[in-house]
Amino acid sequence: MLTDPREALAEQSNFIGYLVGLAGLDRVVHALAADDHRRADTPREADDLVHVLLALASLGEAIERLAESAPAQRSPAATASPPPSTNTRWLR
Amino acid sequence: MRPEVLVSMLAELERIRELTLDLVERSAPRLLPVPPSEAAGAERTMFELLLAARRAVLGNPAAARRLHDLLVAEGRRYAGTPAGARLRDALVASDAVENLRRVWETVSLNVLDGPASPNSAPDAWAELLADAIIGHGLDDSVLSRFRPEGFA
Repeated sequence: MLTDPREALAEQSNFIGYLVGLAGLDRVVHALAADDHRRADTPREADDLVHVLLALASLGEAIERLAESAPAQRSPAATASPPPSTNTRWLR
Repeated sequence: MRPEVLVSMLAELERIRELTLDLVERSAPRLLPVPPSEAAGAERTMFELLLAARRAVLGNPAAARRLHDLLVAEGRRYAGTPAGARLRDALVASDAVENLRRVWETVSLNVLDGPASPNSAPDAWAELLADAIIGHGLDDSVLSRFRPEGFA
């Protein structure tokens, strides 16, 4: 309930999961770009699919930047007793 | 009209939309392939993931198109930055992206491409469903001669 906020609710939220998923897609896009097999024919112009992949990489990088800035925003009390969550561990 | 009534109306419209989609799927079973009976593990998971992607696109064409357009716009913006341009050039030259393109075109049936009126389903989506449903109904030895080769 919004009138009864509890820290545990943040742990149950899927929102961090979404962010982690998008950040993971960024790594997939970079893995696709780093593929050792180059196209034999002349590469075509960047089309919608390539731009969608670029958007996923852009979003992923933005999330990585959020994660990098996360420790500076934490209060000393919060860092003293970190909750045991895989998702929040990634953000740290 | 009271807000509660409007919300009820939206909920009912959503129910009608789901039921209509069920009917469309029954009329065009080729759009939803039967899972391979012997597949297990990773292969089964991949099949279900691709099928879910197809259902998400075919079942929500207007929303899928809006998301598609948003991502393309963001991708174009990112390609205007030095890091984005480098990544774009690497993606265009990658054979793995060509493979991914084949997967995406097979799964989405290209219904998100082409013209679309604002906030509505793309024309290609309506054409695909019409082909799949009407083409199934016209399975007739005489009429089939009028159907161009490769037409659904």
